[in-house]
Amino acid sequence: MSAYKKVKVSKGRNGWGGPLEFTPTDEKKYVISVTGGGIHPVAEKIAKLSGAEVVDAFKNPVDKNETLAAVIDCGGTARGGTYPKLRIPTINVKVMSPSGPLAKFITDDIFVSGVSVENIELVDEKTPYVELETEKSDYSEPGEEAAAPTADDQPETNSAQNAGFMGLINKIARVAGAFMNILYQAGRDTVDSIIKNIIPFMAFVATLIGIINYTGIGEILANVFVPLANNIGGLIILGVITALPFLSPLLAPGAVIGAIIGTLVGNEIANGNIEMSIALPALFAINAQVGTDFIPVGMALGEAKSETASVGAPAILFSRVVTGPAAVIIAYFMSFML
Amino acid sequence: MDFMIMIAEGFIGMFEAGAEVFMGYMTGIIPLLVTLITAVNAITKMIGEEKINGFIQKITKYAVLRYTLVPFIAVFFFTNPMCYTVGRFLPEKYKPAFYDSAVSFVHPITGLFPHANSAELFVWLGVATGYTAAGGSQAQLGLMFLLTGLIVILMRGLVTERISAYMFKKQGHEKILKEN
Repeated sequence: MSAYKKVKVSKGRNGWGGPLEFTPTDEKKYVISVTGGGIHPVAEKIAKLSGAEVVDAFKNPVDKNETLAAVIDCGGTARGGTYPKLRIPTINVKVMSPSGPLAKFITDDIFVSGVSVENIELVDEKTPYVELETEKSDYSEPGEEAAAPTADDQPETNSAQNAGFMGLINKIARVAGAFMNILYQAGRDTVDSIIKNIIPFMAFVATLIGIINYTGIGEILANVFVPLANNIGGLIILGVITALPFLSPLLAPGAVIGAIIGTLVGNEIANGNIEMSIALPALFAINAQVGTDFIPVGMALGEAKSETASVGAPAILFSRVVTGPAAVIIAYFMSFML
Repeated sequence: MDFMIMIAEGFIGMFEAGAEVFMGYMTGIIPLLVTLITAVNAITKMIGEEKINGFIQKITKYAVLRYTLVPFIAVFFFTNPMCYTVGRFLPEKYKPAFYDSAVSFVHPITGLFPHANSAELFVWLGVATGYTAAGGSQAQLGLMFLLTGLIVILMRGLVTERISAYMFKKQGHEKILKEN
């Protein structure tokens, strides 16, 4: 089929990265929509202009080698990095710039964000191919080579000092050096993650709590919220709600909803409106949806076949209906040990 | 004029309240996270990926370990989201259950090991800071969160394993069920 056309996707307002250009081929003819709640209009338009096929990755997972491009709606960080890591052109309809544990894979030649339907256009060119190289990502970490001082110390055998005291010192120094190097790299990774992931979230949560407490919205929220969150029955209901198969994938992205409700519960525990014993079951009640937005991607990371993934998504969603509230009950009994 | 001053004070006051909360996080939580995460990062680098993979491959055949120890090691060493790559060591039929089990552990683990999911800490921290402010022990709650999490992911793994086995059969993928 020669009806394939090249499309160009540029970043949207406040977006990042791109523009990306790609053309479908017979091997790579699927645009996947990983957006929860059906096929996103952006994915639909890309498919329509380019002649590719669009699929909902939740219903019909596609092998990564057949994927032309992925349309995602991730405000968090996990999905945003997964497809770029697999070197699949990634179009995020939400605004996001590189962050999170996979930030180094999110580059402007493979990732574009803030995209809406207006940012997609046809490229009038006769170039039939664009290289979609599936580069093997480099797993080695900078500190790792230093981590393994091998026993093969050729220069030392020629040295007269080898057998003696100096040889020992030399060895100790080298091991100590490797050790320091690892620790230093670990520190660098930590600070990087704190600045990129943790402090921004703290800024957001602190501002939110400040406003809620100062304005008195907190009291209103507490009146609505405390009756539900202050007893085990209410928490089980919350666990059922967050586990509903059609709702859970919408609640899960970036764990933002869980974090906000968690912060509200914590705030009310601090104010004495909710009992402390509720903390443990609450942690499970607010999070029965965890990871339900990420099923196709998580399964792909585990190298599952597409048949497995297509069974896995509904199996997990149904399982949560049972295990979501059950987790709250388990946590309730465990909280007697606190 | 007095009225406008009042509004201005209210406006700034709102953010002063937020600033106080933020400062509490910076002095109360960040220092602990910095040292804890650095230490765990260093340990994972020293042990190395191959050794962990080798160990995981040995223990996946036991159902109880498959949905407790395997997700724990995967999430601890590879962190969210790379922990799901451990699924490749399992037969196809267990992959959905393993994913469900592993993903359900990325928050319970943060109570004691925040490095494992540093981008989503606030599900835990939101509740835990309130719990501490009310006079509770964060370490105790963190430990209980982790232990309860292990029970929950075992239950969840086993339930999802049964449901997916049923669905494999119903959709005619019996070949997958026979693979080992």
